[in-house]
Amino acid sequence: MKHFRLKKGLTALLLAGAAFNAAPVAAQNSDTLVIARSMDVNSLDPARAFCDTCQFYLTAVYETLVTLDADNKTLKPNLAESWDVNENFTEFTFHLKDATFADGSPVEASDVVWTFERLKNLKASPSFLMDGLTSAEAVDAKTVKFTVDAPNSEFLNKVSAPYTGIINAEVAEANGAIAGDTAAEADKSEPWFLANSAGSGPFMLASYSPEAELRLARNDSYWGTEPAFSEVVVTQIQDAVSQAQALETGQVDIAMQIDPDTAQSIRSGDVTTEVVPSYNFLYIGFIPGAKDMADVLTPEVRQALALAIDYDGMLDFTVGGNGAKQAAPIPNGFPGTAGLTPRAQDIEKAKQMLADAGQSDLKLVAGYPNDNVYGVDFNIMMQKVQQDFAAVGVELELKPLTWAVWRDELGAGEWPVTAIYYAPDYYGSGQYVAYFGMIDGFPWTNRASLGKGELVVNPAEADLYAKALASSGAASEEAYTEIGQAMMDDAIILPLVSPNLVLAYRNDIEGVRYSACCNLPLAEISRK
Amino acid sequence: MAELSNALGTAASRTRFVGLRRLVRRLPPTAKVGAAILLFWIVTVLTIHFWPVADPLAMVGRRLQPPSGDHWLGTDALGRDVFSRTLHGSVWSIPIAIVVVAFAVAIGSALGAVAGFFGGWWDAVIMRLVDVTVSFPPILLAMAVAAMLGPGLANASIAMVIVWWPIYARLMRAQVLEVREREHVEAAVAGGAGRVRVLVVHVLPLCWTPTLINATMDFGQVVLLAASLSFIGLGATPPSPEWGSMISEGATRFYNWWIAFGPGMAILSVVLATSFLGDGLRDAFDRRAG
Repeated sequence: MKHFRLKKGLTALLLAGAAFNAAPVAAQNSDTLVIARSMDVNSLDPARAFCDTCQFYLTAVYETLVTLDADNKTLKPNLAESWDVNENFTEFTFHLKDATFADGSPVEASDVVWTFERLKNLKASPSFLMDGLTSAEAVDAKTVKFTVDAPNSEFLNKVSAPYTGIINAEVAEANGAIAGDTAAEADKSEPWFLANSAGSGPFMLASYSPEAELRLARNDSYWGTEPAFSEVVVTQIQDAVSQAQALETGQVDIAMQIDPDTAQSIRSGDVTTEVVPSYNFLYIGFIPGAKDMADVLTPEVRQALALAIDYDGMLDFTVGGNGAKQAAPIPNGFPGTAGLTPRAQDIEKAKQMLADAGQSDLKLVAGYPNDNVYGVDFNIMMQKVQQDFAAVGVELELKPLTWAVWRDELGAGEWPVTAIYYAPDYYGSGQYVAYFGMIDGFPWTNRASLGKGELVVNPAEADLYAKALASSGAASEEAYTEIGQAMMDDAIILPLVSPNLVLAYRNDIEGVRYSACCNLPLAEISRK
Repeated sequence: MAELSNALGTAASRTRFVGLRRLVRRLPPTAKVGAAILLFWIVTVLTIHFWPVADPLAMVGRRLQPPSGDHWLGTDALGRDVFSRTLHGSVWSIPIAIVVVAFAVAIGSALGAVAGFFGGWWDAVIMRLVDVTVSFPPILLAMAVAAMLGPGLANASIAMVIVWWPIYARLMRAQVLEVREREHVEAAVAGGAGRVRVLVVHVLPLCWTPTLINATMDFGQVVLLAASLSFIGLGATPPSPEWGSMISEGATRFYNWWIAFGPGMAILSVVLATSFLGDGLRDAFDRRAG
């Protein structure tokens, strides 16, 4: 036993050093683009994938009908060269370009119909994009028409989400993919999609080894402009510091997850870092449906707690000031957010409201995933919340949990406060209402009420949402502003910080940008 | 030193303190250094509330400041004083180590003594249980138990007791097996003493030395394992300034090296101290025996 004591004693220090395990990949001057990232891939099948890594992988390999321009607002043609929308936003007709899949076969309306039906019928994570789709028909080989059950001015934006990338139906079907009603049970193609791709994009999947490497090869018969790199390698590097080191030493060309604090400590003159606003945000959520909380977490108490938080301090402590405050659970810059003012701290009012509600010595428990997302350490963020709550006499006990335990306990209503994050799937505010709105049956309504809908449902929001979807432009934005205000008054979701994003790359790389739909458009990147 | 004197207190209470003094004299200098470090931490645990250091939970300066005259070990991501947090960390780590080692020794020794002395069916059941437990890597078993019970230092402590008791069961069993064959024990049995009385009065008092040495050394290991569990998020919950969770906060900010430096050195000092002291004690006892 004893001979190992000293060595074991040092492991405590080495634990921290274990972070340095960058994969040895040579990058500079080659025809290969190497990207450092901690990959969160859940699947590489467009209809099943749902992750930040998936967003840029799918964008490079599969193509959507429309896509988001570099201004992150305007939709531009992709596989569809033009589209028509009927007056009440229920029928959408797309006219396809003469594009081809990687195997040379043409992209036809039947592929689009097949892809959308499969996305809907698989009932997987991104299937919500097809909610309300009642029919998809191929008018002719190059024209496809979709009908939705209720006005949806956001449908066009939805089909810019990378998960709606068009799949080569013949190839996928030959490998077990099914688009029909039985898809959810009968489709057995997921393993095939982990090793192969069937898209029309500028890249093809070369290989994927989980927790190690995602390798893309150029699609040599690409119908559009040929991408600059013949190969793209995404190499798994877990944390920001290791990614920064790999970037400084030239092992990688781009590091995707460097936080602003780490970016400041990069001293190499060969590296460019740009700090840009992101559309990601972290928030705390209240769960009045949790055990014994129905009479405690009333709207007044929630509003009081929302006033207790020091939002400016939160920005400083979580991201060193490299971020933005956010009013409602709709990211800054999305439709309708211009008219919303972020909350400000008001300790006296918060205390008064708590006293009026008879909750002067409130004790709450917060369960949250013990993770570091978008450069924000949940533990740091929640300790700040804990301190702010303490200032108004509310004791908050923190329970950092593994993701699996967090999910279980969330569903069981073990604790009334949680913290989590959200990133957009496309440009449009409707997705936020569809997720955070206190509308019967919506995800966060279920989460917060745990079956006791009367605790949280806000009937006004359903009407406003319908109004927003039935209009476009200014009218739609106005409705989203009203919903945003209503969600702020609900005080179920409190956005704490929208962290800035660091684009960090070697000086010889150009074309790196952040896209609201697609994360990092690989095909636009080149070496000087 | 109360534990130590008990351990040596066989029958002759008058020679107890003479023996203790002789033992201390025999300790090598490294062991004395180790004892001094441990003493420092124990005094710190008992008196930390009177120390003129910053509140470990309060923001006392700007965040992520390197070490300076105001903040000897800098400030962490929430602007808290790392020096103060490191000192306060001992309030979590040291008592936990004492409790875990005490429980592991009590449970392990009791079961080991029963297995060794009574043998047969008792021996088979207890020692198989020991075998099963030690067949898991300790950190893995501790993680599994802590993950099952949920985060928190109390649960982590339970996990560590479960990991640690088998060592003492084996130690005590081996010792009891040897001592029970001695003549004075046979004499006591022949004299008609009950089996339990023979075990407690005539056997156990002669069996404590290896356990004591091992417990001293394990003290540091428990501090380390507790920190490891906190490091991976299964031990202390925020905002407690537990050493492992402080290192975990520092690990994601490696350019701000001072956040992990304080608690890292604290763990290092405890582990080294107990290693030194344990080694010294073993040598001292060995020489006495020989």
